[in-house]
Amino acid sequence: MNAPRSALPTACTTLLLIVSFVVGSGISRADDRFTVDGDVDVRWVHASGDPSFLNGGLGILRFDPDHEGLELGRAFLAPNWRINDLVTLHAVADTYGDHNRNPVDLSEFYFVVQPFPTGAVRWRARVGAFYMPVSLENRGSGWTDVYTITPSALNTWLGEEFRTIGAEVEGRWLGASSGYLGDFAVIGAVYGWNDPAGRLLAERGFAMTDRPSTLFGYLGSPQFGFYHEIDHKPGYYGGLTWRHHDRLEIRALHYDNLANPDAQTGSGQLFAWHTRFNSAGARLEPDEHWTFIAQYLDGNTAVEPGGDYGIAPYRLDYRAAFALASFEWGADRVTARYDTFRTHQLSGFYEAPSDNDGHAWTFAWTRDLGEHWQFVAEWLRVFSSFPPRAELEEPVFQIQTEIQLAVRYRFQLAW
Amino acid sequence: MTVAVADRDGRGVGEVVVTATPGSGIAASPTDPKVAVMDQRNLAFLPRVLVIGVGTRVDFPNNDAVSHQVYSFSPAKRFQLPLYKGEFHPPVTFDQAGLVVLGCNIHDSMVGYIYVTPAPYFGTTAAGGTLSLKNLPKGDYQVTVWSPYIADAPESLSRTVHVEGDESASFALTAALRAMPEPRPRRRDWDY
Repeated sequence: MNAPRSALPTACTTLLLIVSFVVGSGISRADDRFTVDGDVDVRWVHASGDPSFLNGGLGILRFDPDHEGLELGRAFLAPNWRINDLVTLHAVADTYGDHNRNPVDLSEFYFVVQPFPTGAVRWRARVGAFYMPVSLENRGSGWTDVYTITPSALNTWLGEEFRTIGAEVEGRWLGASSGYLGDFAVIGAVYGWNDPAGRLLAERGFAMTDRPSTLFGYLGSPQFGFYHEIDHKPGYYGGLTWRHHDRLEIRALHYDNLANPDAQTGSGQLFAWHTRFNSAGARLEPDEHWTFIAQYLDGNTAVEPGGDYGIAPYRLDYRAAFALASFEWGADRVTARYDTFRTHQLSGFYEAPSDNDGHAWTFAWTRDLGEHWQFVAEWLRVFSSFPPRAELEEPVFQIQTEIQLAVRYRFQLAW
Repeated sequence: MTVAVADRDGRGVGEVVVTATPGSGIAASPTDPKVAVMDQRNLAFLPRVLVIGVGTRVDFPNNDAVSHQVYSFSPAKRFQLPLYKGEFHPPVTFDQAGLVVLGCNIHDSMVGYIYVTPAPYFGTTAAGGTLSLKNLPKGDYQVTVWSPYIADAPESLSRTVHVEGDESASFALTAALRAMPEPRPRRRDWDY
């Protein structure tokens, strides 16, 4: 079952492309109090295997044999407004050219409040909707992965089901004043609207796409948005970050949305999933060429629709990890990554248990062509089993391959 | 007087602050407070280590395409300087001796040092590890070297040198140098 494509996203994308080229080539940099980063990614895709979950199947890649050839990877605009010395506003507006509910949608919108440090601890607050500080791959403007096109399974999931809609406070000990060239940060956040997180993982397992959710949009079907407050209880996360000499960054985070697992929306269509996990990761850049990244995530989710319906509680354990090595020289970068992921249903209401098991290899080559253009080639092969595929009369175990050749045009406007 | 600083493998160490304080009875020519420059280029302070006399004014031009927010919370000089493109800021006066560690509130990897000294004679070693202090009146001087990258005990980094003609003083370090910050140039990073 492949969803039809609307002409509207294509029209919007074309408009955005034209505006990008005209404006991006005409404005000179005057200041950077107000900047807009822009990126247009068009690619040729070849994909094998099941229809993508984005198109109603249970394939776990973004594209599939019915959606390949010339595709819009993504186009986004990311305005950044330094309102004063203290407050900055940052937003990212995306279009993916797929059948999202909104052809253009926000994926982030938040204020950063960061006073000048008056002692060795510098405070920062973020208020709005933003990514939690877990991924060590997605460090490009607009949360793009700078090493590959497709992020790891771990970070793909974080991009799909999680956005902090609330407030985060960071206290960072700045080591330089004490003779240590590094710093250490403690982070805590309180948020809402993340109660459905976990549902997509249960219904589909882990996936590997560069198609994160937007704040008001859908991903595939069923057509529910991701950011709802169902139990009217906030969640939290707490984390630690250690940077050493701008060469090593280690992050750890504990997430718990504290959802009440028997809460549901009035219509009974959406439940609150009590989702929590621990994650840890390290990025090492020993010299000007090499980057090594490893991340690990381990958690569980539970939903208890309640006795009203005579439905048993559903519980799922999951974990995912990857290791990445990247070598950069001049305008070129090559990257190899190995992913492993697993979910295990402890109890539940699905007929086929959502026991997902898989691993993947990704190889990518990026080349910068001047200041604005970039070429990226990626080969991705994922091996995964997922029993619910049998219900769609598809093999439970699948090997899917995706080859993508992307051309990206990037610009920054400054006022 | 020529001062040479070498690491434990005998290689010269650059960016080392050298100060020479004359003993009593020497009429040192007073240092004219003037304007020094701490530039910002390629998301780094240039120079990384600056030595100035007490009372010197320091100009902070911003030659990057992006804004910086330079700060110090060191006791010798606390200040905050929002350096946005196209905006002029008067120089900052450093009227107290001591070490001032500079940072940028936007770019955490930027670290710079201003060493404010009451000594009339000072400078930093060149890449080869040497510094020539000229026109020193004859007499005894307390010569001190300092660098954020030197890990040797401070007492081994200061000694008395008697100046008659063109003396040289060598400091052979015994501890390994601390790693220098070499921020990796990154394209379009965002702090996620």
